[in-house]
Amino acid sequence: MNIENTASQMRKGVLEFCILSVIKQGEAYPSDIIEKMKAANLNIFEGTLYPLLTRLKNAELLTYRWIESNSGPPRKYFSLTEKGAAFYTELEATWNELANAVKALTENEQPNH
Amino acid sequence: MKQVININFHGQVVPIETSAFDMLKSYTDSLNRFFAQEEGKEEIINDIETRIAELFQERLKKGATCITDDDVQAIINSMGRPEDFETEEPTNTQEQSKASHAATEPITSEGPKRLYRNENDKILGGVCSGLANYFGIDPVIVRVLFAVITIAFGAGVLAYIILWIAVPSTAQTQIGGAQKKLFRDPDDKIIAGVSSGLGNYFGVNPWIARVLFLLPFMTFIFQGSNWGIDDAGDFIRVSFSPGSLLLYIILWIVIPEAATTSEKLAMKGEKVDLNSIKNSVMEELKGVQSRAEKFGKEAQKVAEEKGQQLGADVNQFAKRSSTSLGDIIVIIFKVFGYFIVGVVAFALVVALFSLAVVAVGIFPAKAFLLTDGWQNAYAWGTLIFFIGVPVVGIITWIIRRLTKQKRYSRFLALTFSSLWIIGWLSVVLLVSSVSRDFKSFNTLSEQEVPLANPTVGKLEITANEPGKHIYRTKFLRFEPFEGLDEDTLLVKNVEVKILKSTNDSFRVTRIVRTNGRTRRFADTLAAEINYNVRQLDSMLLLDRGIAITRENKFRNQRVIITIYVPVGKQIRVDRSIGWAHNVRFGGIFNESEWDVQFEDEEDGWRADRDYIMRADGLYTLDGRKANRWEDDDEARVRVKPGRIEVEENGKKVIIDQNGVEVKPVDGGTYRYQPGTVAPSAPTAPAAPTNEVNERERIKDSIRKEKEKLEQQLKQLEQKTEASPEAVSTLLMHVRTPFHIL
Repeated sequence: MNIENTASQMRKGVLEFCILSVIKQGEAYPSDIIEKMKAANLNIFEGTLYPLLTRLKNAELLTYRWIESNSGPPRKYFSLTEKGAAFYTELEATWNELANAVKALTENEQPNH
Repeated sequence: MKQVININFHGQVVPIETSAFDMLKSYTDSLNRFFAQEEGKEEIINDIETRIAELFQERLKKGATCITDDDVQAIINSMGRPEDFETEEPTNTQEQSKASHAATEPITSEGPKRLYRNENDKILGGVCSGLANYFGIDPVIVRVLFAVITIAFGAGVLAYIILWIAVPSTAQTQIGGAQKKLFRDPDDKIIAGVSSGLGNYFGVNPWIARVLFLLPFMTFIFQGSNWGIDDAGDFIRVSFSPGSLLLYIILWIVIPEAATTSEKLAMKGEKVDLNSIKNSVMEELKGVQSRAEKFGKEAQKVAEEKGQQLGADVNQFAKRSSTSLGDIIVIIFKVFGYFIVGVVAFALVVALFSLAVVAVGIFPAKAFLLTDGWQNAYAWGTLIFFIGVPVVGIITWIIRRLTKQKRYSRFLALTFSSLWIIGWLSVVLLVSSVSRDFKSFNTLSEQEVPLANPTVGKLEITANEPGKHIYRTKFLRFEPFEGLDEDTLLVKNVEVKILKSTNDSFRVTRIVRTNGRTRRFADTLAAEINYNVRQLDSMLLLDRGIAITRENKFRNQRVIITIYVPVGKQIRVDRSIGWAHNVRFGGIFNESEWDVQFEDEEDGWRADRDYIMRADGLYTLDGRKANRWEDDDEARVRVKPGRIEVEENGKKVIIDQNGVEVKPVDGGTYRYQPGTVAPSAPTAPAAPTNEVNERERIKDSIRKEKEKLEQQLKQLEQKTEASPEAVSTLLMHVRTPFHIL
């Protein structure tokens, strides 16, 4: 077991959830998503984000529309589909369960220490 | 001082330093490679490139005069390099980490070997050394093999060119892809952009490539009969006649289309310069370092895992040792199964390819078999879809396998299988249509052939114009279809039968057989067969074959010439006639209920040998019964316990305890008694006057036999298998009679 690997696995697991939650707050442009995640101290490369968005879009969880930009080519703005919203609620429930479980476990552990 | 160029990047005109451009391009290339197996690759790369274009625009808006190395570096750092994604590769939505593992594996640099052309050790294009590298053998061996194949079949050059084009160069990985790549050009295409892509790649006008593809086609159209594999070694014709179409299709399938901007740029290409080499080498070194680290880690992990697994396996094996024998048997069966399947598959592929060669070779004869219109269309359908499609499919599959391409494979499979279904349809329609044309037979009649001098003592059967042996000096010849030219096909369906004549003169008859759609049609066809037989002194001249014209078509026409030979007269059939080549479509075509049958027993004669007719059949001049299958003058010696039999020249010598017995193979016996003079020998019934000669001959042959037998006996003595007494008595019996002679 190495820590780096485990940490990256954990991050991988929640990345989609994070992206979906950013998009859920409103139509988002990829670099907005990056900014918001950066603000939350979750750094990812744009090069990682684009394939993920494409996959989520191909899974019909996301949709996008083109919006003209005054600083270059038109931009893709992503939003959740109905399926995506349902998927998100499911993920959210799972996340809450997990978070609670982890919290409970780690808190229980401390007094024993 | 740096050179600045303007590029059109996603609809934006961007002034960029050449070195920065090279960096950008090697970056997009690396992305291309990284996402090569990703579904929606184009879209992802497009998104990233659009984003880069936007970032460029921002910089230019802020007042930068051009995009510099630093700008590109900064952008790349914020976008991340493929090496960075790997550690962060997020999982797919549905599949769990296992699937993602499998997906990322082929992309990692420690993935399976790929076939590259070796730029570091090359003579022409590095194909041979690349192959050698891939299979782990010495490039010299591969080169020699290629040379041999080229000299022997001429196909080596073609294979080399295809591989040269289809296999990526190591330069594309080692020098960061700054080199040109071969793409099909979607912007300047007539069919699929293959020619313009080739033009781009080799830096020539695409029309040169187009003309090269078309030229042979035009000659093919004008010449009409230029189909197929012609002169041996003349690979140019193979590769450029129907081959150019085949080559085009293969290239179409194998070469990817330049879909994205970066691919288009890669297609137009830039020359490799020092700067790009520097950049890519730096990048490469970085890559090597991280790869080495990663490899170290992975190796460690793998070793640990394998260790644990092995332990677990050993445990399990110990538990299940009672069933291990069964397991082994199952494994052996599996191995055998795979082996058999492999052999069968290989045989099928070979059969398919030879079928293709034969089909192309026999195709010119099509006009003589098929009626125009639908049958013709079916034939083309059969050739292209039933035979051509799987051949192209297999070649494509092999190339794709070797170059590890996985894109579009479902699309390809679907295309090939649907085209093949069309092929099957063509075959079925062709066969049913053609078999209707062979349904009936003509009315049978035996025509007398008038002979100029039927009372000659010997008749020699030979071909008309035997000196003029027509050969097609072609690589592929289909013997029976000799003398094929523009509008006549010579089919050697001539059968010669030799029977005994009822009177003392020769008699020759001719029977013509043919199939046809109806009996009436077959009769007309039979009437049109012009087969000449004429006598010239002691020679009987037969036509070489039956001439079939494009109008008449081939409907199993054949001619049976029966020669009735009077007793005591001789006959000889030239090799130019020989036994008939039997060109005919059998099986399902022959629904006819009867065929020619000869009630009289026919003798098995051989070509180029004199025979004499006797009361009970055909004999050779030295008195043996005509037998097609018998070997030439080979004595046959059989050693049995207490008995030796020798058969030679129609005589059988039996040596046993009763002495030596000589008899013709068919009846009549001499018995040589020890100490007595051989009785005058009544030989074969037809030759009493030859008695003296005959005796001399027998003496001679027996002398020969004696030598042989003594050798045999020596061997026997050495073996001591037979008891010594038996051998010595045998010896005594053998030796005594020979002293008399």
